[in-house]
Amino acid sequence: MTTKRITRDALLTAIALTIFMVEAQLPALAPVPGMKLGLANIVTVWALFTLGPLDALMILLGRILLGAVFAGQLMALIYSLAGGLLCFLVTLLLRRVLTARQIFIAGIFGAMAHNTGQLIAATLVLKSLAVWYYCPLLLLSGIVTGAFTGLAAQYLHARLAKSGSS
Amino acid sequence: MKTKHFLAVIALIALACLGALIVLRLRSAGVIANIYQDGTCIRSVDLSKVAAPETFTVTDKNGHENVVSVEPGRICVARANCPDQVCVHEGWVSGGTRPIVCLPAKLVIRLEDKSAAPGADAPDAVVG
Repeated sequence: MTTKRITRDALLTAIALTIFMVEAQLPALAPVPGMKLGLANIVTVWALFTLGPLDALMILLGRILLGAVFAGQLMALIYSLAGGLLCFLVTLLLRRVLTARQIFIAGIFGAMAHNTGQLIAATLVLKSLAVWYYCPLLLLSGIVTGAFTGLAAQYLHARLAKSGSS
Repeated sequence: MKTKHFLAVIALIALACLGALIVLRLRSAGVIANIYQDGTCIRSVDLSKVAAPETFTVTDKNGHENVVSVEPGRICVARANCPDQVCVHEGWVSGGTRPIVCLPAKLVIRLEDKSAAPGADAPDAVVG
């Protein structure tokens, strides 16, 4: 692992963490636990498509662990990890079949996978299936927010590829 | 794979979610509010038999406190010391199948047909 790679990944983790912390300050959109914009996923999706799975996974894990520490909610770590890892897996699988102009699709399915992972974690923590009543609402919000963050990652990918950086 | 194939799958999921939302909304909930803590029902309140507004506090071993308010026909979490306040923002719940959930306190309040409090619905005898 070169110094350049460490520096770049650390920088991306810092960017993702900043986005995550700013988003955490926004008021909740609806009284549904787990519903949020997921803007930090822009960094994960972009890194996965541009840098590869290993770098993206390290950025994701770094952001989730540090995010839980900075937000002061270690209980939320379980939900973040479950959602983040399932989202990562689905995006990773989709990467094999998607072109650079279809990255937003990975964003949509990734967001839905994130919500599903959170619901699974909440089921285990609460020992109750009651949280699945939120499933339709969460998936619908996941489609909208996932399309948004996926498009953001797609444009970022195109612009940075054109400028020849990264 | 073409973009439209993916979009078709996404549209199908969206339709299924909308359908599920409508079904959940149409299905009438019971009037017994069951309060679950960490998966076990700790208290049941028959909302149809509440005479006067009542308030009680649910605490857990980690110091989480949820102040539950009950009025005739409806229930809410009035105050909570959890960081996200999702349970408080849910407001009054009088019907529907959507539960009040407080993830930090592992608290779930559901409206159901029958009481799930320990002892309230216990079997008379277990054979075998």
